[in-house]
This record gives sequence, structure tokens and C-alpha cells, in this order.
Amino acid sequence: MLKGKELALPAKHRNRQYAIETKKKNSIGKLLSIAALVVLAVILYMTLNVRVDNPKLFWYSMSIRTPKVIAMLLVAFCIGGASVVFQSVINNTVVTPCLLGMNSLYTLIHTTAVFFFGAGSLAARNTNVAFAVDLALMGTIATFIYSFMFKKTKYNVLYVLLIGTVLSSFFSSTQATMTRIMDPNEYDTLLATLVASFSNINTEIIVFAVVVAALVIFVLRKDLALLNVITLGKEQAINLGVDYDRAIKRLLLGVVLFIAIATAMVGPISFLGLIIANLSRQLLRTYRHGYLIAGSALIGMVLLVGGQLIVEHVFVYSVPISVFITVGGGLYFLYLLLTQKRRL
Amino acid sequence: MFAKNLTKIYYGKTVVDSVNFEIPKGKVLSLIGPNGAGKSTVMGMISRLVASDAGLVDFEGTAIHKWKSRDLSKRLAILTQTNNIQMKLTVRELVSFGRFPYSGSHLTAKDIEIIDQAIGYMELTQMQEQFIDELSGGQRQRAYIAMVIAQDTEYVLLDEPTNNLDIYHATNMMKTVRRMCDELGKTIILVLHEINYAAFYSDYICAFVGGRIAKFGTVKEVMTKENLSEIYGVNFEIQEVEGKPLSIYY
Repeated sequence: MLKGKELALPAKHRNRQYAIETKKKNSIGKLLSIAALVVLAVILYMTLNVRVDNPKLFWYSMSIRTPKVIAMLLVAFCIGGASVVFQSVINNTVVTPCLLGMNSLYTLIHTTAVFFFGAGSLAARNTNVAFAVDLALMGTIATFIYSFMFKKTKYNVLYVLLIGTVLSSFFSSTQATMTRIMDPNEYDTLLATLVASFSNINTEIIVFAVVVAALVIFVLRKDLALLNVITLGKEQAINLGVDYDRAIKRLLLGVVLFIAIATAMVGPISFLGLIIANLSRQLLRTYRHGYLIAGSALIGMVLLVGGQLIVEHVFVYSVPISVFITVGGGLYFLYLLLTQKRRL
Repeated sequence: MFAKNLTKIYYGKTVVDSVNFEIPKGKVLSLIGPNGAGKSTVMGMISRLVASDAGLVDFEGTAIHKWKSRDLSKRLAILTQTNNIQMKLTVRELVSFGRFPYSGSHLTAKDIEIIDQAIGYMELTQMQEQFIDELSGGQRQRAYIAMVIAQDTEYVLLDEPTNNLDIYHATNMMKTVRRMCDELGKTIILVLHEINYAAFYSDYICAFVGGRIAKFGTVKEVMTKENLSEIYGVNFEIQEVEGKPLSIYY
């Protein structure tokens, strides 16, 4: 390539790939340590205060705890992955997919179902049906919002976030109006599904959720490989041969589906994604999304399983974990805003 | 590579109006003109970043929008002014992205060799492990140029590469542009505001006014008192320095 000029590199720079390999190894080491923490938390969660003397009681606790752990791991994976991808696509590390009103959309869908069909209806009671409806509605509405609005605003992040905020209040107000004229008993039933809590996880949809998550990853595997380049910005990505608009659209749809899965399982949790995605970025300090996503998912797992452990055994269910997530997330968000002023 | 009846309309306003030109191969071509003359839009259209509303850009016998983006990225590279990265990226990692069209994320031995050469060529060897966001403006610009060199394309398009650089770094940037053309045999197209850089370092100049080409020719043909006064609407004097016509405006 470089005609005429042969470059004599100093010896210490000759194998520069070395530094990059070291960085890779560092990242893998860190990921393995977090994974070890996850395993520890899971073991503790499964075994703490379990009655081993009576096999009946033992298997009873197992049958309660196993689906919960699986659900928490899945939720952490979905939120962690979706948040990293969303931040990279938007090219801003202090946003979470929840800012786009997906939470209030979820609340609205469920309120509407109870409002029109009653708390005893199939749509409200059958969790698999409700889950399918959630996914379909959130997927369609989000595809419309993102594909259309992104194009309309020429990929202007601020506009899209603004539209998300406006829609978010629109959904919440509509929902509030419905609850005001709703039968109090129905509202009571509804409320249980609207407050994020890991104590009443929707375990029946685990299989369905795992299948959908795996399918999304499979369909998007090529787009996920483009994430590193996409973070260089639209123009750079196109320069390097990425079909930018298509990749962005597909990735955002994936993000929405992942958030829908997590929300359907435990209800809306806002700040978790922001915390874990940024912790992962801070800890790994790399641009490689494979590591960032893995890190974010693993940190999420530690926080969720560990947090639930504390909620169940220290606070004995008196405080739901979402309180910790919101308070901790809020403080961390403030910290990010104050320290990363330059990057906003 | 040539443009035929190239047109761009923004909100009912014709920004680029039926422009025709051919890009001379293996030369440096500078696009100049007052603000809003359409030179950056033309640059966007010939690099596929901006879609044209009418006309076409022909690249090696095929319309540019019919090219597969991946194939095109091995033949043509563009560097725009808007480069802000949120990631923690080192110089070397940035330059490695230049090999993405060829090998994706898995670099081959040949890629690594090319990356090394590109980094050496831009004299970044000493700072290749530094993070991009910790560099000065001039160094960052050199890192991006190194990435474009690693991309190993025949055509290189640079949108205002001297923007936000001081005189020292801007002049060095222009020298690099000249070297990339002379030593690496690349065809380079630049959008420039400083007409004297265009005059001193390029082979051809294309001047835009109001979305049309006002003048297109060799530096000597375009850089005359009358032409420049007509293009910019201010008084000009031309002086020869090292055989190149440089302008003084007031």
C-alpha cells in the first residue's frame, strides 16, 4: 500500500497488537470475576434458610426459588443488553430505553385491558396471552415511533427523546384517567402487575420469554456485530460500509422487545439499565460491545439476585427491591451527570 | 468518477442545482466557495452520505447508490467534521476500524501490518495507546487520517480537514494531503474555506456559487483576480509564491 516509504519502527512498538491483546485479557478477567460473583449470589439465594432436614420442604423452596432465579437472570440479561445497545445506538451514555416511554406504554396496555375487559378476562388473567399482547403492541408502536420519527427528525437524538418524553406523559395521563373511573377492586388487582417487584415475578412466561429473547439475538446477530462501528457515528459507520439506517432500525426493535420481556416479567424498573450499563462501561473501559453487553448483564445479575437476597432475608419483604434500584439509580444518575458534563 | 446533473433540494430550496463535473484521477481537487454555496452537500452526495434528489454520481461505471456499501468502502473513504466518539478508544483501535470493510472485527496479519504502516505514516507511533478523547485537536485529526489511510482506498474525501486547527496543524494537514496524493497515489477531494491552502496544495479547484459551479479548472486557471472577486464578491490581489498564485483579500 504505502509506496516509497518503508518505516523502521522502534523495537518496542513492533508488536503493538500486544497491548490490545492484554486489554482483551484484562476484560475477560474482569468478566470472569463478576461471573463468579453471580454464581456466588445464586448459590446463596438458593440455599439460604432452606430446610434440608425435610425433603418435602426442601423441594417446595426449590420449586419457588428456581423460577425466580431464572427470571432474575433473564431480566438482568435483557435490561443490561438492551441498555448498552440503546446507549450505543443513540450515542449517549446517560440515556436508558425507559426514557422513551416504554414503561408507561406497558402500564397503559395493562390498564386498558383491565378497563375494557375486566380483571377476570382472558387478556388480563392468562399471562401468556398478556405477554404476547405486550410484545406485539410494544413492538408495533415502537417500530412506528422509532423508524418513523428517527427518519423524520433526521436521526436527531434530542427530538426522539423529546417525543419519547411527550408520549410518556401522554400514556401516563391516559392511564390515570382510566384508573380514576375504574372499579376500585379491579384497580387493586391491576396495581399488583404495575409495580415492579421481584417478589411476584411472572414466572409462567419464562419459557416464552427465553424463546423470544433467543430468537431476537439470532435474527440480530449480524447487526450486533456492527455495534462497535456504529458507535463511531453515522457518517463514519456509512464510510466503513455499514447499512446504517437498516441496522439502527433493527437494533432498536430488538431493544424494545428486550425491554418488553423484562417489563412483562417484573413490571417497570427504570434505573437498573442505566446503572448496569454505565458500571460495565466504567469497569471495562472498552469499545467492544461483546464485553460491554456481557459485563452489563452480569452486573445486573449480581445486583438483582444479591438485592433480592437482602430484600427477602434482611428486610423480610418489607421494602421492595425497586425502591433500592430507584434510589441507587437516581444517585448514580446524578453522579454521572455531574462527572460527565463534557460528554453530554 | 463524475457527477451528472446532480441536484439537491432542502425544504423547497435548491441547494445544489444540476451540477456536472468529472473528478481527475490521482490529483488533489479542492471545492471552494462562500458559505451555503453547496460544496459540502456536493461532497455528501459524491460520498453517498447524502441522497441526491436528481442526477447521478457515477463511480467506476456504476451509479453510487447502486454500489454495495461494503464494496464502496474499500474504494472510497470520507472524513467529515463531526467526529465525536462516546467510547473509550485508543488511537490504535480507531485506526484498526479502517480495516473493518475488509476483515470485520477479526484482524488478519496483513491488516495489522497495514495499521502499523498507517500509524507510522501519520507519526502516531508514540501515542498509539492514548485515548482519542485525551488528544489535542491536531493529533485527533491525524488519527482519523491514519484510519482513512488504513482503509486503503483510491479515493479520499475530506470535508474541511483544516477546520478548528491552528496554522501549524492546518498547514501540516495540507502537506499530508499532498503527500497522500503524491506518495500513495490517492485521488483526494477536499472542501476548503482557506483559498490559499487550496491554491498551494491542490491541482484543481472547483468553485461553487449559489449551488452551481462557477469555475472549474487548474489552480492557475481559477486563481485569478477577476474569478475570485466574482466568486466571493470582495476585492482580491494575486501574488506568486513559489510559482503558485496566492491571494490577498480585503
